[in-house]
Order: sequence, then structure tokens, then C-alpha cells
Amino acid sequence: MCSIPAANPFIPYPATVTGLLDLTPDIKLFTVELTDPEQQDNFDYRPGQFAFISAYGVGEGPYGIASLAERKAGLEFAVRRVGTVTRALHELEPGATLGIRGPYGNWFPMEDYRGKNILIIGGGIGIAPLRPVIHHVLDHRSDYAELTIINGARSPRELVFSNEFDLWAEPPQCKLELCVDRGNDEWQGRVALVPQVVSELSPSPDNTVAIICGPPIMIRFVLTGLKELGFSPGQIVTTLEQKMKCGIGKCARCNVGDKYICKDGPVFTLEQILNFMEQF
Amino acid sequence: MNRIIVDNNLRSWLKELAEKYTLVAPVTSDGVTLFKHVKGSQVDSLDLQYSNTAVSPKGCFFPLSETMFSIGSDGVNVIAPVSTDREVVIFGIHPCDAAGIALIDRVFLAEPTDTHYKEKRDRTILIGLACNAPSPECFCPSVGGGPANPMYLDILLTQTSAGYIVQATTGKGKELTPAARMEEKDIPLPPPPHVTPVPLEGVSEMMRRNFDSPYWDRVADRCLHCNICSYVCPCCYCFDIRDYMGKDKIDRVRSWESCQSAGFTMIAGGHDPRPTKGARLRQRWYHKLLYFPELFGDIKCTGCGRCVRSCPVNIDIREIITDVQKLNV
Repeated sequence: MCSIPAANPFIPYPATVTGLLDLTPDIKLFTVELTDPEQQDNFDYRPGQFAFISAYGVGEGPYGIASLAERKAGLEFAVRRVGTVTRALHELEPGATLGIRGPYGNWFPMEDYRGKNILIIGGGIGIAPLRPVIHHVLDHRSDYAELTIINGARSPRELVFSNEFDLWAEPPQCKLELCVDRGNDEWQGRVALVPQVVSELSPSPDNTVAIICGPPIMIRFVLTGLKELGFSPGQIVTTLEQKMKCGIGKCARCNVGDKYICKDGPVFTLEQILNFMEQF
Repeated sequence: MNRIIVDNNLRSWLKELAEKYTLVAPVTSDGVTLFKHVKGSQVDSLDLQYSNTAVSPKGCFFPLSETMFSIGSDGVNVIAPVSTDREVVIFGIHPCDAAGIALIDRVFLAEPTDTHYKEKRDRTILIGLACNAPSPECFCPSVGGGPANPMYLDILLTQTSAGYIVQATTGKGKELTPAARMEEKDIPLPPPPHVTPVPLEGVSEMMRRNFDSPYWDRVADRCLHCNICSYVCPCCYCFDIRDYMGKDKIDRVRSWESCQSAGFTMIAGGHDPRPTKGARLRQRWYHKLLYFPELFGDIKCTGCGRCVRSCPVNIDIREIITDVQKLNV
């Protein structure tokens, strides 16, 4: 009998669901704490990193971490019910056990963005991995210039984190622009696609970093739009999602050309993306 | 002078090894040669003239399917699979297959180490057999190898008319060498058999320039995405991880996968960056001939010819290498 070495990178930490919040009809915010307090304390992560969540018996998958470590309010993940693992996760009740391994990948270099205007552009659940960036900027407000958030969804009730919008739009120098593909009777805001809103608002590229996440098609159109506004490829940052099984550069599933999203990313500047051989 | 072991002594040594170690060797049955666990009693019938096994011995380290660990129904208790500390001797492995393992090492032994792979790798000794019957599809010298290349092996045996020349290249190999069963003889290493070369020079650069060529869709048109190329390949290592519910535990199982599978890159919700056979076939060749060389300096192919022999629609890496040199977008 031989035991698996403790450093086995595939074995998740046992964790407990400590909070559950419906963000939209098919997206829930999970608050998770590692069962072992020491592991919980050591689980340090940066805005933009991701982790694997195990719904034991069904499988595991990678999810962007939606919380800011410094807030010490537990690990948060926004999970959309869309596949087999996410469906199983949505069945869980507070107190349920799951597995967590990570954190993996690179992150948004927040220290490099100090003194700059921060332009956040999110579509659908794409705003979730950008939430730690928003929280970081809000918590270190004087370190950054203007914060502008453009957040879109298919319909008003699918806007993610609407419970926090008041905090995101709190002055000084914070602006939140919401848009939906299709409105309803109560919706007074914009009915437009995210790339259209970007063009309409025409944010200035001066001293600005644009941080984007959303469906691949939205990312592609927003990248083009920002280029037209004069943003240079080094000023545009995005985070990419790919199918992955290991998260540690072994399973050969998440590469886009010669770049592995799990370890070279998931955060890339447009400058890097322009050198990708393959479409993401 | 070379150290020689005659066939009788070789077989008695192998029988001794079979007592102390788990002995894995090429076994031919119904015309198909495969690496299998053999007992001492099977040693006399081992075929040492085989050309190539149908599947490479990569499965000794990276099994077709393995339970990585199980978890109790409480979701907390991790249960390690029952395993063994017994050392393994793989006997009769050809230099191309040892090279394949060395290529997988680059990925699986890199930090963070794949402990499942390393644990098996650390307790295995490779006794190689110089290949004296390369098949028409082989091209090992073109990718830095050779039918009698001792690299990546602990011991290499090369057949001569007077017995096998024994070359121990590692400490593990030197320790295992059966001094009493060998004799020093003035017999030189025979010239390696001829293997038809494939012109690989500059292939990575040509790949870089021809990513968007319609060539990839054209070759892929006949691909059945049966994945056999990946499964027989000594250095393909894509894997899947799945959960299986047991009675009172859940097994997390890793198994071979292939980048040729439809839906390999499809994420939940349906987006698939490689939705066509052309895009998937291109990925396989680019990983082997461009991405891996960029990362590690070597082409991810050992020239064993298995994919050529196994492909039901005759997709041939040698043809692709030759064709790509002539493309120009």
C-alpha cells in the first residue's frame, strides 16, 4: 500500500458552502470556506485568478474567483447553471461539502494600474472575474483615477451583481453604465450591445487601462472598438475562458496556439492576443 | 571490448528479475505485440525480434485509465488507491519508445509535478533493446533518435551474432547489470539498420507561416476522428478527468483523451474554438511540430511510425512534414 504524496496537485481541499445568493435566474454566488482553517488562511489569491470546484460524483471545473482576498469574506464564485457540474453545484444547499483546488493562473497587475483611469467592460457572467478588480479599486480609491464600469446582459434580470450596483456607482469618480440586449416594461436604461455602448461613450484612452471579460464574440468586437478609439494593444487587458481539465499545464486542453490559458493566462493584454496563432 | 550476454544467460537473468521486480516485456499473441506483465515462466517464449508494439509502453506511467484518488461519501476523506512499492523493469523497450517517455517527462515532471506519473516513473528501470527490424513507416533518426540510441534508457542491449552487447548508461542500469552472466569480447557494435529519413529541417518555421493554409482542412476531410493516432503515440498525453460513483465512495479517474475528439475544446454553453476537424487535426500537428519545440526545443515525435500504420484513412505524418515544406501562404 502506498499513499499518494501530500503534494499531489490534483487533490482538492475540502470546503463548505457557507453562503448562497441568487444573482440572476441561472447564476448563483457561492461563498465557500476551506474546512481546514490553516488551508483557508494560506489560500491567497489575486484578482483574475481561478480555482477548480469539485462537485464530487459529477466532476470538477475551473471558475474565476469573484471575491477579493483582502476582504477576507470567504472565497466567492459566480456560477451559471449551464453544464453538468454547474447544474450539480446549483443543487447544493448551505453547509454542503465540495472540493477546491487552486488558485491557478496569472492575475491583473493592479499595482501597474495605479494612477490610471480604470475602464471595466463586462458582458453576462464575464463581469464576475472582474469583480475583484472593482472591489480592489473601490477599497484603494485614492490609488486610481476614474472608475468606469460598462456592464451588459441579455435582459435586465440577467444583469449580474445588480445587488452591488449602488456601491459600484458611488461617487466620487465612479460611473456605472448598464445595458441589455432586450429591455422590458420597467427597464429605463440602454437597450444596446456592449460594443455599441463602448463606441457611444467613447472613453478616452488617455492614461486608461481597459479590462474586459465576456463571451468571446463580445470580447472580439470590444477589442476592435477600443482600437478605433485609439487604445493601444498594451492598454487593453482581458481574461479568457477555455475548456480545461487540470489547471496546471498538463492535460493539453486549454491552449490557444502555443499559449496555455491555465498557466500563461487567463489574463492577457491585447498586445499578447494579437500574437496568438489561433482564435479563442 | 564490449560486454556480451548470450541469449541463454539473458533469459536466466530475466527470470531472476521477474522474481524481484514486476517484469514488463513485449508479448506477441495472435500476431499483435504488446507490452505486458510477464512471469518468469513466459521469459523463454519472448520474441526479441519484434518491430514495434501496437501501443507504446507509455501506459506503464500514464495508464489508459487510473483512479487518481477516491473520496468518501462525506466528500472529505481522501482515499489513496491501493498501489505497490514494487519496482518495475520494462524489458525490451525500443529507443523510440524510451524517447517518447522522455518527452512526456518534460511536461509531467515539470512543476507542479504530476505525482501519479512520477511515482511510477521513479520505480521503473528501462532495459532497452536496439531495434533491428525498423518498419517501413519508421523515421527515428530524423527526430534525433536512432534504432540503437542508448539515451533515455538505463541499459541498452544490442543484438550481435555472438550475443547481446550490454551498455549501462545510468547508475540504476550499472547496478542492475548482471556482471557474472556477461563476458568481455572484442565484438564491435553493429551498424544500425537503415531507416528512411524524413526532411524535417525548417519544418517549425514553415508551420508558423502556414497556420491559415486551407491545407489543414483538406487533409482533415478524410479524418474519422477515431483518435487512434493519439492512443498509439508514445508521446501524446492529453487526458480527461471524470468522477465515477461507487457504493460508498467516489472515484476520480484520469484517462487518455485526444485533441482529435469532437467537442474536445467545447465549453459549457456551447462555444468551441476548434469546431472543425481541420482545426483539431491542425492542433495535433502544431503541438508536435511547433508549440512543443518552441517550449522545449524538441519535436514531439519519436518517428516510431505507429500513427502512420494505425490510421484507417492513411493520414501520414511523413507526408504532412513533406507537404508543409512546399506550402506557401
